Amino acid sequence: MCANSRKNKSPFSLGVRKKAFPWLVPLSSVRLTLVLLSLSMVLIFVATLEQVRIGIRGAQAEYFESFFGIWYYPTEFWGGSFLNFIPLPIPGGYLLGGLLILNLIAAFITRFQMTYKKMGIQIIHLGIILLLIGQMVTQAIQVESRMQINKGETSNYLERFHGVELVFTDITDASESKVVAIPEEMLEVGRTLNTPKFPLKVRVKSFGPNCNFDLKESGENRGNITAGVDRGVGVSSNLSITPIEEDFSAEGVNFSYAVFELLDKSESLGTWTAVAHPAGNSRWESIHPKLAGLSFQPIRYDGRLWGMELRAKREYLPFSIELLGIENEFYQGTDIPHNFESHINLNLESGQKRKALVYMNTPLRHAGKTFYQYQMNKAADYSVFQVIRNPSWLVPYIACILVSIGLLWQFSFHLISFLRKQAKAAPAV
Amino acid sequence: MVAFVACCLHISVQMCLSNLSPNTLGRFCILLGILSFFGSCSEDPEIQSYSITPEYDGPVIVWKLPDHWGENPELSGPLAGSFHVKTDSGPKGRIGVMPFREAVSSLEITNMFGMELGYQGFNQESLNQVLQVKKIEGKNFDWIRLTERVQSENPNTALLAILRNDQDTWLFPFIADAQLINAEMESFTNFLGSIIARAGKKEIRAVVPALPPPPVPTASGNPTWETPKHWLPGKASSMRVGSFLVQDGNGMELDFSITTFPGDVGGLLPNINRWLGQVNLPEVNLNSQSKYVSEIIIDEKSAQLLIAENEEKSVYGALYFGPSQSWFFKLIGDSELARVEKENFLTLLSTVCFHDH
Repeated sequence: MCANSRKNKSPFSLGVRKKAFPWLVPLSSVRLTLVLLSLSMVLIFVATLEQVRIGIRGAQAEYFESFFGIWYYPTEFWGGSFLNFIPLPIPGGYLLGGLLILNLIAAFITRFQMTYKKMGIQIIHLGIILLLIGQMVTQAIQVESRMQINKGETSNYLERFHGVELVFTDITDASESKVVAIPEEMLEVGRTLNTPKFPLKVRVKSFGPNCNFDLKESGENRGNITAGVDRGVGVSSNLSITPIEEDFSAEGVNFSYAVFELLDKSESLGTWTAVAHPAGNSRWESIHPKLAGLSFQPIRYDGRLWGMELRAKREYLPFSIELLGIENEFYQGTDIPHNFESHINLNLESGQKRKALVYMNTPLRHAGKTFYQYQMNKAADYSVFQVIRNPSWLVPYIACILVSIGLLWQFSFHLISFLRKQAKAAPAV
Repeated sequence: MVAFVACCLHISVQMCLSNLSPNTLGRFCILLGILSFFGSCSEDPEIQSYSITPEYDGPVIVWKLPDHWGENPELSGPLAGSFHVKTDSGPKGRIGVMPFREAVSSLEITNMFGMELGYQGFNQESLNQVLQVKKIEGKNFDWIRLTERVQSENPNTALLAILRNDQDTWLFPFIADAQLINAEMESFTNFLGSIIARAGKKEIRAVVPALPPPPVPTASGNPTWETPKHWLPGKASSMRVGSFLVQDGNGMELDFSITTFPGDVGGLLPNINRWLGQVNLPEVNLNSQSKYVSEIIIDEKSAQLLIAENEEKSVYGALYFGPSQSWFFKLIGDSELARVEKENFLTLLSTVCFHDH
């Protein structure tokens, strides 16, 4: 039996694999790879341009976390005044990333030879596939939050950077409070929400991610959004709300608002308005004393006292962090931060305490979450951590190790072959 | 995610059109399914409910209203709750919930209502004649009944129930004609029995009646602070409680002042806009003021810190709006020197003491 015949009979040989997966052959095309990589460059170019207009988060949502995005040729470019009206579809990150993964896997199966000589290339591509899949997993399950703690105080919850929730908290009992939180995704206008955990029904009359607000003089028209509000801070402050577009820019602050009616069975108890302050509802008092109640609008029902507010989505933790002290250092004579550090006590679930120091690029890792030093205000004595939950955080490291091993293998193989050839070619002395 | 699945389906259809066997197509779909799984890992929104350690640090007052009582929607003055009795001839009587600080005595409260009803004024001895202690559902109420001093078969009456906790006092006045109060005595007692009252860390917002306003600080009552050693005495002015001049060797200057005014002098926004104007920055509104303003603690009091830097001139300020006085700490001048002195300014703020606690 000749060598070729033996090779073809191996279940992992190239011929057998191509025969077993003929449908993968067109997907493994190198041309497709090049086209996808070229389109990726276009995507990055367009998204970078758009970042100036709609901010990082906007560009990310529009172009990278989508199947395709629509781009309008910038008016500042040559011929922009004529070409600006044409909508140009740009392939999005999900489309290109998904197709690149398919392309790589198809190539892996139908084109790559499983030999020692080529093993380095296979490992490199395996690393890249892992990197792409890891990114998709991260995209799907990573959660970013923030934790703000005042010096000397303890916090046991995280707040999402984006997204709000309408919260009803039963504070009647001194030992514990019961929270009912409705996420913004459910605050659809006209929808009536109820849950056995809250005795009243909530009918959403208006909701928006951002607004301008104003305190009108007594008797002055509040405008359409809050015209029907007859209870709470909306009435006592004569609060007027004008919806505006969500600000996606890095410096943008969004004041989400909700107007809702509470119903006891079918009887209306009144209509309230709630606005979420992006820096926390405790800040309302400093904006205007009349708005202080936006952090807690009471309603008493059936012998229980409930507080209502619209706030950043929260996640409560089984452990807590106490801020013992903060230090911030700047380069002399500048506002450029040199170092921020927070001295903390980590109060563990078991009741034990652990001291830790969190500073720039040296986060605290606990319970699957990573706490990075994010912001600090020494004047107001508080520190803010950016908290990331990403179960797949190790994947990029593993992928990079695989790529490094692959490169090392491939170059070493060629180097050794070359040295052997050199040794053979060298004339005997 | 929907778009991604649509893309996968699109490719699947193309594969079908290429005369592939069902078996082959099935394998392809499994592969696509694995990939699309990653895109579908999002949580469906749902109403969350959970228990937490209490965070609300304000006072708590809860009650159960009798069925034939109604709630008055408008709360005025120090009232935390206000109710009426529903009768065939319309709402009658007025029942209130009034939180007070611990300092308020039954004597002060009785005099407040007694004057309205024609009493000359109570002293401790005369108060003891109308004061009872009534125990309802384990809670002790000071129980005072005052009847209008006029000749009438059905005189106006104030029934005052005062509940004292460790840190707070709650008054439940029932004001109506004597007949209604007698008829509603059981309901009023049940209402008081349902009361859950708890003081919080935050001061109860209602004001104490008849207490004198806080005194206006005099020269001897001014705050103290620690000034950096290289700051020089500044220009004197009757408006200024403190005045300093900061200079470097290159002709740059900063003016630091501490001023105080009665009331809130227009509040936060007009004052920060005035200061922004002094360094040629555009005015801000309620939404955008956070660009320059953040919270700061001065002598355990919540104040506002303004950091506004322009190319040539900058202003750093702290504004504290006290119960009767407003305090302004302002450093203004050349931006370059201001940035150098920023840390000193913040340090000075941390040393301010109002000597009021």
